[in-house]
Amino acid sequence: MRVVIFSWEYPPRIVGKLANHVRELVWQLAKNGIETFLVTYHEYLTGEFEDGEVKVYRVTNPVKTHVSVLTWVSTLNQEVERVAANIYYKSGKQIDLIDVQDWHFIPAAVTLKKAFDIPFVYSVESLEDHRSHGANSPFNMAIKSIEWLGTYEANTVIVKSNWMANEVIRAYKVPEAKVKIVNPETKHWLESILKVYRELKGGCCGYG
Amino acid sequence: MASQLRVMMLTWEFPPRIIGGISPHVYYLSKNLAKEGVKVYVVTCDFPGAPDHEVMDGVEVFRIDSYKNPSPDFASWVFLMNMNMQKEAAAIVKSLGGVDIFHAHDWLVANAGIGLKHVFRRPLLATIHSTEIGRRNGLHSDYERMIHETEAWLTYEAWRVICCSNYMVSHVKWAFNLPEDKLVMIPNGVDAREYEKSTVDLNKFRRRFALPEEKIVLYVGRLVYEKGIQVLINAVPKILEKVNAKFVIVGNGYMKEPLWEKVKQMGLAHKVLFTGFVDDENLRNLQKCADVSVVPSLFEPFGIVALEAMAAKSPVVVSDTGGLSEIVEHDLTGVKVYPGNPESLAWGVTRVLLDEAYANKLRENAYRMVVEKYNWEKISRQTKNVYERVLSEYSRTFWA
Repeated sequence: MRVVIFSWEYPPRIVGKLANHVRELVWQLAKNGIETFLVTYHEYLTGEFEDGEVKVYRVTNPVKTHVSVLTWVSTLNQEVERVAANIYYKSGKQIDLIDVQDWHFIPAAVTLKKAFDIPFVYSVESLEDHRSHGANSPFNMAIKSIEWLGTYEANTVIVKSNWMANEVIRAYKVPEAKVKIVNPETKHWLESILKVYRELKGGCCGYG
Repeated sequence: MASQLRVMMLTWEFPPRIIGGISPHVYYLSKNLAKEGVKVYVVTCDFPGAPDHEVMDGVEVFRIDSYKNPSPDFASWVFLMNMNMQKEAAAIVKSLGGVDIFHAHDWLVANAGIGLKHVFRRPLLATIHSTEIGRRNGLHSDYERMIHETEAWLTYEAWRVICCSNYMVSHVKWAFNLPEDKLVMIPNGVDAREYEKSTVDLNKFRRRFALPEEKIVLYVGRLVYEKGIQVLINAVPKILEKVNAKFVIVGNGYMKEPLWEKVKQMGLAHKVLFTGFVDDENLRNLQKCADVSVVPSLFEPFGIVALEAMAAKSPVVVSDTGGLSEIVEHDLTGVKVYPGNPESLAWGVTRVLLDEAYANKLRENAYRMVVEKYNWEKISRQTKNVYERVLSEYSRTFWA
């Protein structure tokens, strides 16, 4: 199985908790025989790297000056698409699924799904509603609309707790059956993720 | 040709959605490319009442949901619209079994064009109609720099960059540091036949805007600084000293209210008419009635409105800048005046209005030039040649 993970943070770029969680995830996936690609951002450490068994691709933003994280993300997604497309064409046009960590690279995942029928998982680390304490300015609402797109287009939404499952269902009206709870603190978390992946492999556009 | 050339046009405006010059440009270009045997798919923003999918004059048009996402500012709206456009376009390309070329018009569709290029590994062409650094006369904020860099990114990713005038070619080359051989000049066009269609009684139509004894001085364009409308308003009293005229100002923009206030303070409210937006048919009739059409721009990449006036056989007075300098030959096809100079503009306008023989000579020369040089058949053939050249270069790359 060939899996591509999108994450806006990955060591050495550590913004919050996500970086190390994603690193643990991709290492474990690779150890379990999954061909794992990781696409992430770095300001200048760009290119292809081997991190153990994991192939890491770092892209930078082609537009340096921005007015918000929203516009910053908007021009970065095409670079993520470029690298993901390169992986796709180099590997005989076969990517089994994309797992997009948090909202930043949802636009890329959605485009790749539409173009190549690659199913994708949206792994929710946090929601804008909580990060902004319920603020509903156009800026917050724009980010929420991207998160909504992620929940709408994803084949499966993975959350880390019962509480977050309820929040995702409340905030974006996601069908319950589409949400899978995988607590990374538990012993069999990786098996649960692999189970989600296996259900999606080869079958886009169902709810798994 | 082995198989039909398929091009996907990306544009943020396409009729009936008309905001600026890109909409008619893409419409006429697409329509005439279709006549040349090119299969054109246009992907554009939606518009109330316009269908999501239709065939218009041989061109297949897809309109995407563009007001889905709330946005804090215009640029953020553009980027989110691009997210939706790219997603929809990706699905369309897949359902069509591929296209040969993507053709993007301005930074407003940069993200979508660049993303589609990489995802489908097909060449991207960009037409740069205008630049942020030109519109703003410099870059003064992060917001403007962001747009400038997005434009630079589009020209970087494009296989070729098309500009509509020699002036724009050199401006774009300078603004984005592009190599000479990446740029192609293909002029903008105008369809002179559109001006022969109307059956309206022009004498009667004219009375809606001016008294019979008043000459009509027409301005058509957005009411924004770079279009120089304030220069015309400042020239109004100087012109009225010599000629009885009515100034008809067509278009909208942030300068409308302040200019209207100013006109009232000058005591000239009865001589200046702000019409706001005017639909195509009425606009063409107005252009036909105009005793002189004025294009007083400070920055003008091309100046399509001058060509339209010429096609309507209205004499033109333009500021000697940008694309306008190339279109108009002074004393032959129009009058050139100093940009930003109300005295000079008033001189040009009164010269045309006071000398009928001179005005008629300008009308005839200009009309002949428009039909010969700026017709869409010729322009679409030139564009098709660029597509074919790019595809032949592309066929030798590892993407092919």
